[in-house]
Amino acid sequence: MSADPRLARSRPQQQQPTAVPPPPPPPAEPQPNVMGMDGTTNTPPPGPVVPDDKFKLKFCTICASNQNRSMEAHLQLASAHLPTISFGTGSLVRLPGPTITQPNVYHFNSTTYRAIHTELAQQNAQLYAQNGLLNMLSRNLNIKSFPERFQDWIPGKPRLDHAEDQGAPGTEAGIVDVMITCEERCFDAVLEDLHNKGGRLNRPVHVFNVDIKDNHEEARVGGKAILDLALSLNEAAAKEREVHGESGWTGGGGAARDGFDEKVPEILAAWQERWPNMPALWSLAWV
Amino acid sequence: MNPLGQLESARSLALGDGRYYPTIIPGVLPIIGPNANASLDTRRWGADFLAETFASPTWPSDAKEPSCLTVLPTLRAYLDDNDTGVIKSAVQAAASIYPLVYRHTISSHDSPNWQHMLAIKSNILRRMDTAPPGVRVCCVKFVQQVVLVQTPGQIADPRVRSPRLPPPAGNDLSSVQRPEQNDISLALVPRDHNLLSHSQLEAEASGLLDRLLDIVHGDHSDALLVTATLNALGMLIPRRPTIASKIIGSILNFNALKLANSPMTPKNKVIMKSMERTTRALLVNVMKRNPDNPFNTRIHQYLERMHHTRVDVFDESKRKRPAPVEQADGMDPSKRQRVVPIVPITQNVPPLPPGPVSYRELFTLDPNGGPAFDVQAFQDPEQLLSILVPVLQSIDATKLGDAINAVRARYLALQKAPPQPAPGVSAPLNDEEEEYEPDFEPEDNEQIVNQLDSAPPEDMIPDRVTNAPLVPYKLPQAPPLTKEEVQKYGDGTIRRVFGMLSSLEEPSSRSKAPKRGFNRLAASSYDRDSWVTILARLATRASAGLDDPDENTKSESGNGEKGNFAISESIRNALHNYVMYDWKKRIDIGISWLNEEWYNDRVQSNIMNKGSKFAANGNGSSPSVYKGNYRRCALRLLNAIIAFAEGTDKVLLRFMSEIPELDREILMRMKKMAEDPERIDLAIMVLQYLYMFRPPVREICVDVLVDMWQTNERAKPAASKILKRWKPEVLSQGNAVKMETANGSLEVKAI
Repeated sequence: MSADPRLARSRPQQQQPTAVPPPPPPPAEPQPNVMGMDGTTNTPPPGPVVPDDKFKLKFCTICASNQNRSMEAHLQLASAHLPTISFGTGSLVRLPGPTITQPNVYHFNSTTYRAIHTELAQQNAQLYAQNGLLNMLSRNLNIKSFPERFQDWIPGKPRLDHAEDQGAPGTEAGIVDVMITCEERCFDAVLEDLHNKGGRLNRPVHVFNVDIKDNHEEARVGGKAILDLALSLNEAAAKEREVHGESGWTGGGGAARDGFDEKVPEILAAWQERWPNMPALWSLAWV
Repeated sequence: MNPLGQLESARSLALGDGRYYPTIIPGVLPIIGPNANASLDTRRWGADFLAETFASPTWPSDAKEPSCLTVLPTLRAYLDDNDTGVIKSAVQAAASIYPLVYRHTISSHDSPNWQHMLAIKSNILRRMDTAPPGVRVCCVKFVQQVVLVQTPGQIADPRVRSPRLPPPAGNDLSSVQRPEQNDISLALVPRDHNLLSHSQLEAEASGLLDRLLDIVHGDHSDALLVTATLNALGMLIPRRPTIASKIIGSILNFNALKLANSPMTPKNKVIMKSMERTTRALLVNVMKRNPDNPFNTRIHQYLERMHHTRVDVFDESKRKRPAPVEQADGMDPSKRQRVVPIVPITQNVPPLPPGPVSYRELFTLDPNGGPAFDVQAFQDPEQLLSILVPVLQSIDATKLGDAINAVRARYLALQKAPPQPAPGVSAPLNDEEEEYEPDFEPEDNEQIVNQLDSAPPEDMIPDRVTNAPLVPYKLPQAPPLTKEEVQKYGDGTIRRVFGMLSSLEEPSSRSKAPKRGFNRLAASSYDRDSWVTILARLATRASAGLDDPDENTKSESGNGEKGNFAISESIRNALHNYVMYDWKKRIDIGISWLNEEWYNDRVQSNIMNKGSKFAANGNGSSPSVYKGNYRRCALRLLNAIIAFAEGTDKVLLRFMSEIPELDREILMRMKKMAEDPERIDLAIMVLQYLYMFRPPVREICVDVLVDMWQTNERAKPAASKILKRWKPEVLSQGNAVKMETANGSLEVKAI
């Protein structure tokens, strides 16, 4: 039941690069969406959508377990038709268990969301339905198939095998322009791991942190905040290409001549004013 | 057909399998190349494609080497493009290609291609200071690549000349393809190479490194460039030991928070935090990669210092609340700078004495200072002037204004108060009339009625009220409270005090005011600390009937110990909850509370053992006759904290080291905590700290650690490292008794 909406969403978009007349937003989009396993829809309310013929930055959302915050943001960004992939920085996927000392622990990159869902539903369906885990997992399994660990990611390795993930169009080459972490710990982990990876692609990447508490409500709000940030960034980046486009470098003047990269601190500062409860960090790193 | 469509399908082919790149590139170049007169979109696509291609980990650098030579003219043309996007990608591609051409030149002495590369390099270096920032950051990365290949790499052992060394820059990951050959570095360049002069390359690299470091120490408001440089430098440190110390030393002199002195705009805040975090991530990575780095101590100090500075800079409540002490009396906290409040002056003004008032009395606001002063004492007007002028100058305008208001209020009150007219107090109303309107004899009824209306009702006011000495009024004795009432009111009071605590929290908990020493009075300042002290003592001592039971138990007198005891318990519960509500910040409250408990237990047991020779010293677990509350409360609090503590919560360390008494059971909690693999380090750190700084519990620490070592498989490595120093004999035994550990663990768990 989950495969269809994903296919319906990603197929029309995959043709994006070749399409000369930009395809209108996928026609199959507003199908009465398949309900999630426990009655929730898997699509957030229709928000802003970046048309497919416009320039798009590539995004990557990161939290600890690639389950709640990064996946919520993944969904929201993908729903806005922004190329998105997502990761977790923890050593293992940790989900709440029956008590605080007995978390459910899974391996990254191999255990699928579906498998976790099945296991938890067997373990204690009522508990996990009540604390929202099953709900979350059934959302996740419609986004992509398994949680991925950031540290195991090889930047630049093509992701053709992820073509069915939501937000996959545009991320085929396995590179991103913007990474957004959801917790300072993850931000530090990402910067550190990028040092370990050594910046082999010589490609700049803007790494942001947006501090979000790890619960469903905050993740929802945080996802909106991340989408807001992503749209602001994307707009600035698209503008840079227009300003510096055919008219050439000499065409613009004053602030209009500022490129995307140097505007990032201002964009983030303005965003922070709009979302004062989610302290933000930023760094220009290398993949 | 649309060229982009063709190009895109070629690209997807290559994305599917990296082996196609060598065949695809020659097909693509004519479309995107300098002679193709390509459109902007095509040039952008081409530059992106080249950057992606030569960065791709899906094909080996050996295959890239011949291919990259063919794209040099295209790259060179792209660098002179007028679109920043094209230039950016071209510089990225150049950064990936430079090491390849360099290696190619070393082995083949291919001059024309090297000249091409040199032209590209100088083009990029020329832009480095003037290009738009987005391009400059890419130049930074290019320069870092140049530095990487033009400094000597790790001293290669000629015998193991390849697979183990780290792979070269910008190329494949060893996991993807075959084993890497040598790290591309200056070490590969023979001394007598006809194109590449060893010393020149090295000198250039050193100069370029200086340029990178200059960026870090340059304009701190340009976070883009600074963080880009810091993040690029990170990869040089592990791979180029010869320059690592120079880089680290330079970074340690970098002050990420230099902007703190400039205006705190949102942008500056973001910039500062970001630079601080970037620096930290870099240094932490350096430490983690090489735990034996001689720089680690300095790095550690640097990080500590930076952390403190950051707290100082960003913690606004800290900066803005220098005078927090007066706030308990309900003043507006937003006016905290005004240490002498407006209201108190008027409050201090004593009411006028009843009866006739002289001007002197009217204007005297301070009865203690006033009467003694007489202007007439000054015979010399000059002298008076010389005093008066400075005095007038030094008068605080607000004080003066308040004083004037006070006098004005008095004056108005005097005017308005017919019941206390100036002269004849005893005179009837008519007298007054006479005074004001002597010739107006007849009154009409209306006027009289009016007067009577405005006058206070006569039956309430005895005639000679002012002179009559007041008999002190005594409230009738209240009926004694029932036990339930005592409990209820007691709880209510406690709740209110805690409510007040949370409202006080912000200013006082963070105030930097120097702690007063032992001589301070415990609860004199009405800040959070003093209320906590009051509460803790109320909980511990009230029921103990220690000092002055009247004072603490006034409201509950006659209700016996039971009621008190219940209240103590509910205070304890409330304190416990209060601490746990935000335990990291309120750990100090927990500690001072437990100290009070401990003290009280001591005093109690002393009293109970008076006469006997029982010594209440020592940290051991000497069985006390008095069954105190300390241990119970400490364990409960510790249990609660451990449930929430994470592996990084050093606060726990503080807690464990500052609570007054430790025993085996408390320390066993560390073992329990270590069952969570994430918190093993923390548990061991606690034990280690206590071992070092609290000698009385040393033995228990060692025992607990031994226990942990024996029963907790995952804690073994960390524990054995320390046991090696503390109790090496256990380790040797351990191997022998390994068979028994299964039983041992069962036993321990049963405890």
